[in-house]
Amino acid sequence: MFKVKDKELVLPGQVLGENVLAGAYCFKENDLVFSSVRGIVKTDRKFVKVIPFDGKYVPKGGDIVIGIIEGNSTGGWFVDLNSGYTGYMRGEEVTRNPMQEDLSRYYNIGDRFTAKVVEVNEIYKCNLINPWKLKGGSIINISPKKVPRVIGKQKSMINMLRDKTRCKIVVGQNGRIWLNDDDPDRIKFAVKIIKIIEEKAHTPGLTDKIGNLIDEELKNNEKFYKKFYKN
Amino acid sequence: MDEKTRLVDENGIRLDGRKPDELREIEMKVGVLKQADGSAYVKWGKNIALASVYGPRECHPQWQRDSRKAVLRCTYNMAPFSVDDRKRPGPDRRSYEISKVTTEALESVVLVENYPNTAIDVFIEILQADAGTRCVGLTAASIALADAGIPMKDIVAACASGKADGEIILDLFKDEDNKGEADLPIAIVPRTGEIALMQLDGDLTREEFEKAFDMAVAGGLKVNEIQKETLLKEYKKE
Amino acid sequence: MKMEIEEYLKKDYITNLINANKRTDGRAFDEYRNLEVIKGYVNDKAEGSALVKLGETQVLVGVKMDVGEPYPDRPNEGIMATNSELRPGASPNFELGPPRAESIELSRVVDRGIRESGAIKTDELFIEEDKVWVVFIDIHILDHLGNLIDAAGIAAISALLDARMPKYEDGEVIRGEWGGKLPVGRVPIPCTVAKIGNSIISDPSVDEEYAADARLTIATTDKLNAMQKGGSGTFTKDEIMNAVDLAFKNGDNIRKIVE
Repeated sequence: MFKVKDKELVLPGQVLGENVLAGAYCFKENDLVFSSVRGIVKTDRKFVKVIPFDGKYVPKGGDIVIGIIEGNSTGGWFVDLNSGYTGYMRGEEVTRNPMQEDLSRYYNIGDRFTAKVVEVNEIYKCNLINPWKLKGGSIINISPKKVPRVIGKQKSMINMLRDKTRCKIVVGQNGRIWLNDDDPDRIKFAVKIIKIIEEKAHTPGLTDKIGNLIDEELKNNEKFYKKFYKN
Repeated sequence: MDEKTRLVDENGIRLDGRKPDELREIEMKVGVLKQADGSAYVKWGKNIALASVYGPRECHPQWQRDSRKAVLRCTYNMAPFSVDDRKRPGPDRRSYEISKVTTEALESVVLVENYPNTAIDVFIEILQADAGTRCVGLTAASIALADAGIPMKDIVAACASGKADGEIILDLFKDEDNKGEADLPIAIVPRTGEIALMQLDGDLTREEFEKAFDMAVAGGLKVNEIQKETLLKEYKKE
Repeated sequence: MKMEIEEYLKKDYITNLINANKRTDGRAFDEYRNLEVIKGYVNDKAEGSALVKLGETQVLVGVKMDVGEPYPDRPNEGIMATNSELRPGASPNFELGPPRAESIELSRVVDRGIRESGAIKTDELFIEEDKVWVVFIDIHILDHLGNLIDAAGIAAISALLDARMPKYEDGEVIRGEWGGKLPVGRVPIPCTVAKIGNSIISDPSVDEEYAADARLTIATTDKLNAMQKGGSGTFTKDEIMNAVDLAFKNGDNIRKIVE
């Protein structure tokens, strides 16, 4: 039996239901289930979970993330994931003989790349595979909890962003977003829009609202508009 | 104040116009700092506290790491300009003690098992002090943790009561605290009413203690209402 | 303090015993270990001293006095200062170095009981303008087998009751000679309980402290003078009021040994 409605705003310690199954960001005491974070509650038949608004990234198998090389070890690299947990990438990901070669010809400290998270253990040590180096461009950080909104249902939001801003955009589940374009103003514009999405992530109908907002901005700023669609 | 100025007059009104069980004015905000993962600002009477949370993050030094859970580390610090007579910068014995009891109070609710091997650091800065700063700091730290998305069993709220001029009163301000006969800061887990922090300085009978205790708990529950309102505010305005 | 395997296992063992209403040494939940107070233990140099053996815990407190300036807001009153040292020889978990939070907490809690009850009659420590007696209470932990706060607090008030005033002549403290007793009024006794599961037990031993979720120290005279909750567990109001009653009861018994 639920004590809250689906999509209601909840806080840590708030009771969600009795005799229901506790999902993510919930905890159980006797027969009662509570939220452990500030977020939106989702109820589904006998099951309840909370989608938090905030929180640092914690490695999850299957996630595509943007990592930064932070250190070397003999057979690979330590990777910063903007998390409380460091990732590891084995030399085998870039070469057949990682022990015979000088791995710095592939990746050096400070290099940025996307990769997939695999093999996460109980203390969140994880490995990264299928790296793809990101050259140039800039990286911004948003709250990892807002990444699903930036991607949107069936990639609706991210596709619209790429379309309308004409930038290359890569989104990591760990809250890092890489943007690249010849025109720095376009990148600035795209970052501005992404920050707005982050701020308003909990509003319904956001994809349409953002689409309209972009159109408005471009319309109100003719010089900008011309620049945008010059090429 | 040279002569025995009364702290509570014959109508039960205190020097700042409050009734014995009345709280000072409290204002709270979250998400006030950019770098921190979570943050909060609390203005409580003339007290001003800022709390920031970093974490879960890598735990340094390595020897402090715990593979079963996150290590929660809270530091309480008073700015040199926060008090009447400048306070030498740096931790003193009082701030070590307050840091310890604050950490322990929050440990009672933070779900540290969720993040083994990491550290969750909480920094409480008292920017202006007018008695009750440990309660103000802990109240701010609580909502800063919620702002950072750190999973907790509840939002801990703190409040102090005491005795002045023979009367049991709530939320003493500096003048009352200096001349008071007892000081009882407590922190509650609002959902269960259990006590996560409690200290007493003074000379109270069992009955006086119970009265002061009940008053502080009631004050804490009111503080908790403001905490919850503050956390919901930025998401409710749409 | 990281728990080793042995202590991990001990924690379960103790908790199970407590849940079955037993303690490892067979004591009742509200019972203290054997208490021995030896006053004047090191009085050739110290103004006063006391060695306390609480079970196997051993704490030595020395009282030293000197002449100093009073606080500006209390120009006619003497001063007291309390410090504690968790000596490395007392426990494998104590290290050399500046005082850690536990040491600071210990000294401040012991100080609180003495200060708030007015045990030291500071108004009788005035010498002349800008000169008052300063009383230093130094807690030296010798062997940590649990409940350091109570052992230290009992040793501190005992050392104060034992203390003599140094001789003061022509503006100088004459070391090695003493006058009358240090004026002491009320006798505060701290009583600590630990919470293990849902049980409240008095005077926890070192193993019981590992198993405890939280502790509550209450210092009493005829009234409540100081309280400190420690540890990351919580207390209900009923548990707190029960601890208050235990503190008055056990405090009265201990005071008879100390006075």
